[in-house]
Amino acid sequence: MGRVYILGGAQTDFERNWKKEGKNMIALLKEAVADGLADANITFDDVRELNRENRVACFVGNFIAEKYTEQGHLGAFLTEVDEAFYGVPSARYEAACASSSVAIDAAQTKIANGDYDVAIVVGWELMKTVDSKVGGDFLGRAAYYEKEGKGIELPFPKLFGRLADETLKKYPIDEKRYMDALARIAVINYENAKRNPLAQTRKWFMSFEQASTRGTETNPLVGGRLGVSDCSQITDGAAVVVLASEKFMQERNIQNKPIIKGYGHRTAPMLFDKKMADNADSEYILPWTRQAVLDAYKRSGLTVDAIDCFETHDCFTSSEYAAISAFGITEPGKEYEAVESGLIAFDGKKPINASGGLIGCGHPVGASGARMFLDCYKQVTGQAGAYQVQGVKNAMMLNIGGSATTNYVFIIGNN
Amino acid sequence: MKITTVTVVGVTGTMGANVAGIFASFGNAKVYAVGRDIEKVKRTIPRIIKSVKADSIARNLVPADFSMLDQCVAESDLVFESSVEDIQVKTEIAEKVAKALRPHAVSCTGSSGLSITTLAECYPEEVRGHFFGVHMFNPPYSMSLCELTPTRYSDKEMLYDLKEYLEKKLFRTVVEVKDSPAFLGNRIGFQFINEAMQYAEQYKDNGGIDYIDAIIGSFTGRSMAPLVTADFVGLDVHKAIVDNVYQNTNDYAHDTFVLPVFAQKLVDEKKLGRKTNGGLYQLIKYENGLKRQTVLDLNTGTYRDQIPYVFPFADKMKKYIAEGDYTKAFERLVNNHSQEAEICLSFLLKYIVYSLYAAKEVGYSVHDADDVMATGFNWCPPLAMYQALSTVADVKTLTKERLVEICQKVDVDQLLAEVEPSKYDYRLYFKSAK
Repeated sequence: MGRVYILGGAQTDFERNWKKEGKNMIALLKEAVADGLADANITFDDVRELNRENRVACFVGNFIAEKYTEQGHLGAFLTEVDEAFYGVPSARYEAACASSSVAIDAAQTKIANGDYDVAIVVGWELMKTVDSKVGGDFLGRAAYYEKEGKGIELPFPKLFGRLADETLKKYPIDEKRYMDALARIAVINYENAKRNPLAQTRKWFMSFEQASTRGTETNPLVGGRLGVSDCSQITDGAAVVVLASEKFMQERNIQNKPIIKGYGHRTAPMLFDKKMADNADSEYILPWTRQAVLDAYKRSGLTVDAIDCFETHDCFTSSEYAAISAFGITEPGKEYEAVESGLIAFDGKKPINASGGLIGCGHPVGASGARMFLDCYKQVTGQAGAYQVQGVKNAMMLNIGGSATTNYVFIIGNN
Repeated sequence: MKITTVTVVGVTGTMGANVAGIFASFGNAKVYAVGRDIEKVKRTIPRIIKSVKADSIARNLVPADFSMLDQCVAESDLVFESSVEDIQVKTEIAEKVAKALRPHAVSCTGSSGLSITTLAECYPEEVRGHFFGVHMFNPPYSMSLCELTPTRYSDKEMLYDLKEYLEKKLFRTVVEVKDSPAFLGNRIGFQFINEAMQYAEQYKDNGGIDYIDAIIGSFTGRSMAPLVTADFVGLDVHKAIVDNVYQNTNDYAHDTFVLPVFAQKLVDEKKLGRKTNGGLYQLIKYENGLKRQTVLDLNTGTYRDQIPYVFPFADKMKKYIAEGDYTKAFERLVNNHSQEAEICLSFLLKYIVYSLYAAKEVGYSVHDADDVMATGFNWCPPLAMYQALSTVADVKTLTKERLVEICQKVDVDQLLAEVEPSKYDYRLYFKSAK
C-alpha cells in the first residue's frame, strides 16, 4: 500500500450563519472547495486534467442534510460548484458526526490502493436552518432514534450527561472534582478558540466560575448534570482536505508534506445502555474508543509519547474527559490529573484542541472530522498561526459519531 | 497593566452598561457601576449580565451613585466615563474624577466624537497624561472595535500598556486614531449614511428612503441597509455625529455631512427612530399581533407601506450571492447602467475613496479603515470592497469614470496607490437575505 500525503485544505469561518447571509449549500461548498484547493495548490484545470485519466475523486462527508436543507445525493452536488467536477467520481459518506472521517478513510484507501492520485474530501453541515429544538431532534438520529431520540427534547446532551453519570459510577472520583474538571475542559476550549481566527466562539466570554456554576439563567442544565457551557456549538461550516499519492508527489516534485501514519475505526454498540453494559470488563468507559486509538498507534508504530498534540471530539466535556485516557495520556479514571495539572492546556505537554475543539471552534457535524484532520495538518506543518503548538511532529485526532458509537482516529505526521 | 478595579460612570446608558459588562467579564475587574440614581443602576445590573451572557460576573458589579464617585475613583485602576455627549456634563465629571484619580490610574472617556484634548485639559498637569479616548461600538460583545485616542499630553508608556490591556485582556480590535471629530469609524460610516439620506431626499419621487435602502442594502456588503441603521442608532445620535463633523472638519466630502431638512424635522419632533418607534421607518403593531413595517414618504410626510422594489441588477446580484457567485454578482453591478445600479456602484466607490482619505487624516494606516468598518459596523471593509470589485474591473478606471466630480477635488490616484490586500474576506459581508 502506498503512502497517503496531505496537500492542504481549508475551513470556512465557523462564526458565520449562512441562513442569515441568505446563502445556500452551494455557496458554502464553492467557498470551501475554492479555498481548500487553493491552499493545496490544485487548480480547477488540474482537476480537469487529472480527471481525463480518472486520477481524481471526491469524498463528501455530511450527516443529515436531508433534514437540515432538504437535500440528498450530496456527492453529486460538487458538479454545481464547478464544471471541472463533471465526470469526477464523487459520493457522500455518512457516520453521524464522524461522517467526514469515514470520507477521509475512503479517500485514503483509494489513494493507497493506487486507484486515484488526488482525493478531495469535503465535510459540511448547515445547522442553523432550523431552531435548536428542531435541530436537536434531527441529531437524535445519530442515536437509536426510536429508542433514544424520538420525543425526547435535546437527546444528545442527555446521553452525554449519562456518560458523566456513568463515569462517576465507574471510577472512585469525587463528584465536585469531576465536575470542576469538566468545567476546566470547557474553559480551555474557549480560551484556545480565542487564538483561532475561524473559531465560532472567538468573541465569547467564558470563565471557570461561569462554567462551574451550572443551573443558572446563563448556564442552564441541558442534559443531567451538564450545563450549556459543557456543550459544543450549533454551527454552519465546511472543511476541505486534499490527499495525494506518492506518484503525484513525485510528478509534481512536491516535498515536505505530511502523511497519514495510521488510523483506527471501531464501532461500539448503538444503544447507550448496551455500550455501558459492554464496558463492564474494561478499565475504559468507552473501550471501543480506546481500541480505535490503539489500532492507530499500532498501524503507525507510534505510542502516545510520540504525539505532540491532539484534536478530540469534545461534543460535550464528558466526551473529552473520556478521550484523555483513551489517548493514553493518563490511566483510565485518572483523567482529572491531566486537566488539573495543565497537561492538556495549550501550553501543556499534551495539548488537546489547540483549535478550540467542538466547544470553542464549533461543530458543524458533518465537517468536524475534516476540520480536526485539517487542524492536525496545520499543526504538523507549522501553519496554525496564533494557535500553533511548538514543535509538533505528530498529531492525533479522535472523531466520534453518535454516543461514541463510530470511533475514528487518525495520526498525521511528517514523513 | 494590572486593572483590578474599574469605575464606569454613566452605567445606566446603553454603552455604559455594555462596557461595564466587558470590564467585569473579560477584564475580571471589580466594577463600580456609577449612575445618578442608584435604584436605576440596580435595575441595570441584570442588563449588564445579559450583555455578556454570564451570571458569574454579578459578583464583580457594585452599584453606586454620584455621591460615591470620589470613593469609587479613589479605589480604581481605571475610570471609564460614559455619560451623555455633552461637553459640559463631561467636563464636570472629568473635574471630579481628576481630584480622586490615583497616581497610577488611567482615565478614559467613551465619547464618540468630542475633543479628547479639551477633556484632558480638565485634568491637572500631573495626571493629564493618563487621559485617553476609548471609543467602543455597540454592542461591544459582538463588535470588537475600540478606537483609542491619545492626546498630545498622553503618557506614551501608559498608552502602550492600555492598548495591550484592551487587546489582550478585553479582546478588543484596537485602532489608534487622532483626536478628530467622530474619529474614524463614524466619520466613514456616517458619511455614507448621511449621503444616503441626502439621496433619499433627492430621489423622493422614486420612493425616497426605502428606494435608497433597496439600492444599497445588505447585498452591497453590510448587515443592515444604511437608513435602517440611522433609525437603529437614533436620528439624534446621527445628527450629533454629522453636525460635529460638518462644523469641525472641511474635507472634499464636506457637503455630504449636511443633515437633510426632513431629518432635522424628525429630530425636532422627537421622532428619533427605533427607540421612539417612528423615525425614517415605523413599525405598526396591531392588537392581534400582526406587524407592519412602514416608511416615511418624503413627499407626503406620512408613513406608508414599504415598496417591494425589484431592480433587475439587484435581483440578479442577490441570486448570484445566494449561490456564492460573487464575481458574477459584481459583474452585474458594474455592467448594468440603470439609474439604480449606477447609484449603487457610485456609493461603493465613494466609500472606498472616502475611507482611504479618512484613514490618512484620522488614522495611521489604510488598514485602520478596514478594521473600523469590519469590526465597528460589520460592513465590508473598504480594502476588501476594493478587492471584491477588482475581481471584475480596474477599480481606478471605474472610479475615474463614475466619480468625475470627486476626482477633480481629490487626488484619487494617490489614494488608490496606497491600497493593500485586505485582512478581511469580502465574501462574508455580501448578503442575499433581506
